[in-house]
Amino acid sequence: MALGGMSLIDFLFYIICAAAVVLLAAQAVINPTAFVQITVFGLADGAMYALVALGYTMVYGIIELINFAHGDVFTMGGYISAAILGFFAINEQTFTAVNLVAILLVFPAVMLIMAAINVGIERIAYRPLRNAPRLAPLITAIGMSFVLEGVMFLWHGPASVHFPDILPHGPGFQTTIGGVFVTFKDGFVMVTAVFLVTLLAIFINRTKLGKAMRATAQDKDAAQLMGIDINRTIAATFFIGALLAGAGGMIWGLYFNNLFYNLGFRTGLVAFTSAVFGGIGNIPGAAIGGVLIGLIAAYSDSYIGSKWTEVVIFGILIGVLVFRPTGLLGMRVPEK
Amino acid sequence: MVRARGLGVLSMALMVAFACGGGGGTSGSKGTIKIGSDLPVCTTGGQSTANGVKFAVDQKNAAGGVNGYTISFQSFDDCRQGAYDAAAGVENVQTMLGDPKFLGMIGPYNSAVAKAEIPIAAPQHFVMISPSNTGVCLTKESPPPQAPCTYHAADLRNGNANNYWRVVTTDDYQGPAMATYFYKTLNVHSVGILDDSTVFGVGISGAFETQFKTLGGTVVKHSEYQKATTSDWKSILLAFKNGGATGVYVGGTDDQNICIPRKQMKDLGWDVPFGGGDGIETTDCINQAAGNELGVNATSAGADATQIPGAKSTIDAFHKQFPGANDFGGYTMQAYDAANALMAAIGRAINDAGGNTPTREQVRAEMAKTKGFVGVIGTYDFDQNGDTSLKIVSIYTVLSVTDPANSTGVCGKTQTKLCFVWKAQFDFAKPS
Repeated sequence: MALGGMSLIDFLFYIICAAAVVLLAAQAVINPTAFVQITVFGLADGAMYALVALGYTMVYGIIELINFAHGDVFTMGGYISAAILGFFAINEQTFTAVNLVAILLVFPAVMLIMAAINVGIERIAYRPLRNAPRLAPLITAIGMSFVLEGVMFLWHGPASVHFPDILPHGPGFQTTIGGVFVTFKDGFVMVTAVFLVTLLAIFINRTKLGKAMRATAQDKDAAQLMGIDINRTIAATFFIGALLAGAGGMIWGLYFNNLFYNLGFRTGLVAFTSAVFGGIGNIPGAAIGGVLIGLIAAYSDSYIGSKWTEVVIFGILIGVLVFRPTGLLGMRVPEK
Repeated sequence: MVRARGLGVLSMALMVAFACGGGGGTSGSKGTIKIGSDLPVCTTGGQSTANGVKFAVDQKNAAGGVNGYTISFQSFDDCRQGAYDAAAGVENVQTMLGDPKFLGMIGPYNSAVAKAEIPIAAPQHFVMISPSNTGVCLTKESPPPQAPCTYHAADLRNGNANNYWRVVTTDDYQGPAMATYFYKTLNVHSVGILDDSTVFGVGISGAFETQFKTLGGTVVKHSEYQKATTSDWKSILLAFKNGGATGVYVGGTDDQNICIPRKQMKDLGWDVPFGGGDGIETTDCINQAAGNELGVNATSAGADATQIPGAKSTIDAFHKQFPGANDFGGYTMQAYDAANALMAAIGRAINDAGGNTPTREQVRAEMAKTKGFVGVIGTYDFDQNGDTSLKIVSIYTVLSVTDPANSTGVCGKTQTKLCFVWKAQFDFAKPS
């Protein structure tokens, strides 16, 4: 059945989307300031989800594994960056040159450390099971997740861990634009995330390794026949995914200044949802999915009620999967 | 192999977590009687409370024990995965019940744990004295117009004689105390309420809301969250702010991240009073509020020991034995009193048993007869439900202090000079 070239399912999907947009637009008209403010919060949260979601989607795209440990790699990125920052004479009250140097040095350091750890995880827990039934690596992924959480639990205990507040903050670094309160931190999160995602896109599309990754995702055996080193390519995928997760963990810490050992469980779940939302295996899809989930959560917290937020997010996920089984952007195979 | 080693480290951690701290004294002339505590000692609040029990027992043994018996104290941990867990508490109680030398326990710390433990301990006449449970329904029905109890004290005891007492008062006083403090002292007439969806959080925030409305205040919005799903509260807080709230009340505990919203209020540039129950009068709360600690208000369901004449010498002696910064907490002296009340009942029960080891029922019967108990936090009785006759709620505010050792409230971990300082108290036993 078709309506103006659309199937009924598609038609329903657009109707529901349109209804949501209309309801939000109504709120935007009633109180535009609050609407924009909530959008700012949602974008900042969503940018962080997007960074984590990319790791899920890349790994899934290439070996069809839901890497449950990825959320914990992200959290550990926060823990390790907090630890390294402890070696600098940082100042939490005002922004000093030391703070800037610390941020510039710790970012690449923590990204590389997490990448190395993630490659290690792949080598130990996933590569030996490459040809095992699909369920086996899924279980080891859950196991790795518990191991990472256990390590963080032993390291800092159950209480929330303070992450130094070293980004510029305070009266000099916040402004009110037309009633909307914007801080330097909000901007920092969004700009950094966009920068990293752009770098990733360039890497995937313009480099030889990126091409190898795309080829491996498309057909492992054919890629191998073409002389691509599959193990190296898959390791590279884990490496890059963890670069982003490590950066995400540090950005999360800089933004919220709070971490706890099982933060990755929830964040990982939301990020995974974002990846599915955008179309798992699809890199722009994961980024867009992350931002959308961040926005939806913020709107729901404010307009519907926080107790419903989880219901709304996962309700939308079910809706998307029913109407669009391949996610919003679908699974564009060459760009996995 | 790294994976196997990781698991090894984990299981060792579990063993350490479940291994018990505390130790017995030297042998008394007649033998040993054991008392236990069941507290979330993985948290600073739980550990500082266990310290109070240990201090009381050590003091008693040093003075010759109880009627010739040495008291041996064992601290059980009801944490699982870093937060209190009712199932872990039940296991601990079962361990104590399995050892006939255990004649009573101090604890639990959290109301949800007590709810699970009382039904197991009651048929065995096993005395439980909580230093900190404030959940109303553990001992009585919640008074209207507050929301009715979803479970009932009588059902928990299931026809057995009462075996449960507490030395602190209840949330039906704690919530209203902060409501009155907000409305009358801080002049906050419009609030947003946030709770953490736990038994405690829902109960105390409901009691706050009822009283605040009775006083004439407006509740802009009552939102709830779950730890597992929320890390950004800014949109919730913004809804409060835009609704015209000039204060925020939180019902919940620090292990549910209830004080992170305090930090995020600063990220919003929103500077209004923030208050909660005894679940936030903790070191971890100060840590979570990083950068916005000052002005956090918390209630404690009992009198502040520094406000009681004669308590100072006990507190000083405690600090000598436990010099650590976080060794003393909001419920340390309550635990000290609870342990002494239990040991006094054991002493009387020994007399009832003709100088021999009493039965659990004899200890329970003597505990029920406690009258005019002279403790550090006051002189008090218990009613037949197990509630104390003291209906005092104290208000604490985080301030910058010069000498944290002299503060009765807890202080931050990194911000060691930011401590909860006693501000006021409400006595609900006296007609106002």
